[in-house]
Amino acid sequence: MRTEILSPRQWATFARSWFIIDARMQPPGKIANICSIRLQGKHKPIYHALSDCGDHVVVINSRHIAFSGNKWEQKVYSSHTGYPGGFKQVTATQLHLKDPKAIVKLAVYGMLPKNLHRRTMMQRLHIFAEEEIPDDIRANLTEELPQPREIPRKLNEYTQEEIDAFPRLFTPPKDYRMK
Amino acid sequence: MTSRGTPSRFLKSVLQNGVGRYVCQLKRISIVFSRKGQSSLGVRDFIEEGVVDYAKKNPGTVVYVSPQPKSLPKIVAEYLNGNIREECIKNKTSQEVLEVLTKLTNQSGLDVIRIRKHFHTDSPSIQGQWHPFTNRPPSVGPISPQHPRRKED
Repeated sequence: MRTEILSPRQWATFARSWFIIDARMQPPGKIANICSIRLQGKHKPIYHALSDCGDHVVVINSRHIAFSGNKWEQKVYSSHTGYPGGFKQVTATQLHLKDPKAIVKLAVYGMLPKNLHRRTMMQRLHIFAEEEIPDDIRANLTEELPQPREIPRKLNEYTQEEIDAFPRLFTPPKDYRMK
Repeated sequence: MTSRGTPSRFLKSVLQNGVGRYVCQLKRISIVFSRKGQSSLGVRDFIEEGVVDYAKKNPGTVVYVSPQPKSLPKIVAEYLNGNIREECIKNKTSQEVLEVLTKLTNQSGLDVIRIRKHFHTDSPSIQGQWHPFTNRPPSVGPISPQHPRRKED
């Protein structure tokens, strides 16, 4: 026999969370993987494809993503306008300059399951090119996800003591000429 | 008819019968037969031999034997929750009548309609049902990524 109402428990179990992730200096594919897992709800033990258990994800600093390798010049995004002769191909750099949100958006779109739920999940993804996000979204956030890639420190971020303390293989003589 | 057009119910027991004491849900059983009909031959044999043993084995059930002229033989079973079930025992042997009686005795009085799920539990969760904040560290404001969820040895 039930002694308590069961509906608030169900509402708590299926509540939708809001996650935020900073895409500065991160590869967009890894960001997209994290987003797609959370948008589908696969991080939850109650996951089922028909349950509509996905969460919201906010991506900030999408203008400052970092492709590895030569992808900025080599990766090509293709589309067709539908008209003859309308096949367009743009490199990642050109697309990013035209729309700084497009690369992350296309990456997530390709990683979501190819069914009718995909559009709903994309509506729950919020991408912002810079740090500023609207106040109502900021009020909803519950968790900030850790960044997938550790950002390496630039040389000017090291203190002089750390540079001096770094072990050297050999000390070159004063008249040694580096190639 | 489709299962949407016919009634259905969830699996349940009558007041958790059997968890403590088992109470036989059969309240009253009336055996209606005719004295001189070929279809009631098996029933009459059963009444000669088996009905007294049956009544002694089920002390909580009241057995009525009512001969009625020119009637088809049937068993009317009444249950503690008020449901009434009638079973026709026309042209059945004495053994088959006993089988029908045991089947009715073992039933609870709940309706014989489609059962939606063949499982039920009153305590679906022992450790507490998951919600998004189980296994999340407590924090003021959004959880920051400086609390990485590493598995601690």
